[in-house]
Amino acid sequence: MRDNEKNSFIHRQSAHCESGGTSNILLNYGVDVSEALVFGIGAGLFFGFFPFIKMNGLPVVTFRNMPGRILKNTSKRLGIKIESYKFKNPEKSMDALDILLDKGIPVGLQAGCYWLPYFPDALRFHFNAHTLIAIGRKGDEYLISDPVFEEPVTCLRKDLMKARFSEGPFSPKGKMYCIKGIKGQVDLPRAVTKGIRETCWFMLAKNPIPLIGVRGIRYFAKRVQEWPEKYGKRRASLLLGNAIRMQEEVGTGGGGFRLMYAAFLQEAADILNKKELLDISERMTETGDKWREFALLGARICKDRSLDGDNYDNLSNVLLDCAAKEYGIYNDLRETVR
Amino acid sequence: MKSNEIDELEKELLEFIIEVCNITDPVPDNISADDPLIGPESPLGLDSLDAVEIVVAAEKKYDIRIGSRETTRKILKSLKTLADYIRKQTKGKAKSKATA
Repeated sequence: MRDNEKNSFIHRQSAHCESGGTSNILLNYGVDVSEALVFGIGAGLFFGFFPFIKMNGLPVVTFRNMPGRILKNTSKRLGIKIESYKFKNPEKSMDALDILLDKGIPVGLQAGCYWLPYFPDALRFHFNAHTLIAIGRKGDEYLISDPVFEEPVTCLRKDLMKARFSEGPFSPKGKMYCIKGIKGQVDLPRAVTKGIRETCWFMLAKNPIPLIGVRGIRYFAKRVQEWPEKYGKRRASLLLGNAIRMQEEVGTGGGGFRLMYAAFLQEAADILNKKELLDISERMTETGDKWREFALLGARICKDRSLDGDNYDNLSNVLLDCAAKEYGIYNDLRETVR
Repeated sequence: MKSNEIDELEKELLEFIIEVCNITDPVPDNISADDPLIGPESPLGLDSLDAVEIVVAAEKKYDIRIGSRETTRKILKSLKTLADYIRKQTKGKAKSKATA
């Protein structure tokens, strides 16, 4: 049995749970890839605005790919064999977790972070796709490497079980995974190239319904402009506040993951030996700053402390500027890895 | 241990935050550098939207970057953590300018 004192799992704090958790578990199997690198290889960067899908009664605005995709893509591209499990019975899911932990195997878990008692009140919100790694247990107390915390934390069996079976969108259904092995040599340049290609493909997608990618940002810009007239000031503020929180919180590292992606591109420039990626990384940082300008303007509107020129028309213009910048970036990025 | 001492930079940051977030309610006298800055326990009553404003305004004022690798929530834990982060960043810059 591995308990708190004997545990040798290396824990690193990160901004984003899925990228950070994947990076941490890989590190403990001898594959040292940073959080930003995992995010890029896993094609985590995204934009989607889904007015018909609601979370907590508000439409979903997302700046990252579907939960679970980063882990799946990264492991596939690095040749890491992962075994995943889902359960209907909560008790059985905990028993299966115990068997792996007692063998000394770290186990990735999906959980609803609202039900994890070690989360301080200020950070508790209903999000069912939180990633954490169980690294040991002592009876009913589990030792957890939660990537967004500075140090490993502990959690009781009943609480962990509740979090693993929390209900609502992205319900985890006891999902857990562990590493089964590494197939041959890790080919980092190939993995980075594939990750970049997928991101460009999604962000430049020409779907008939323009809800994702650069077209999604433009569509979002149009809708934002209409909010005050369509919904009134109060509801418009709620919608705006939700978009800003999704962009600046929820582990994005700021600027809706754009700053994290810029860090990835910096590492990619070295790995692929392509200096042009450094320039694109700088442009991505500028885009992240532009997204932050949107958040700043929006926060002032929500808080009723608008300055001259702070209005929904301007917000929409900032978003269109973000879309234009990103359109140029993904086209150039696609060329560098063609 | 909680210390009620607020150093010069922490005091400057407190005034800066009051101005940026337009706090009109009286600020408690016994505010400590370790008090939570954001969230329900914040004596200033700041929330996550205020955090966005503080981050962007602090980046501009102190010519630093908050984001990506350093988690915002860690830096904005208290006046002390924010001041420590600014000191670390500006010291690093001064050092690299001196060696350039």
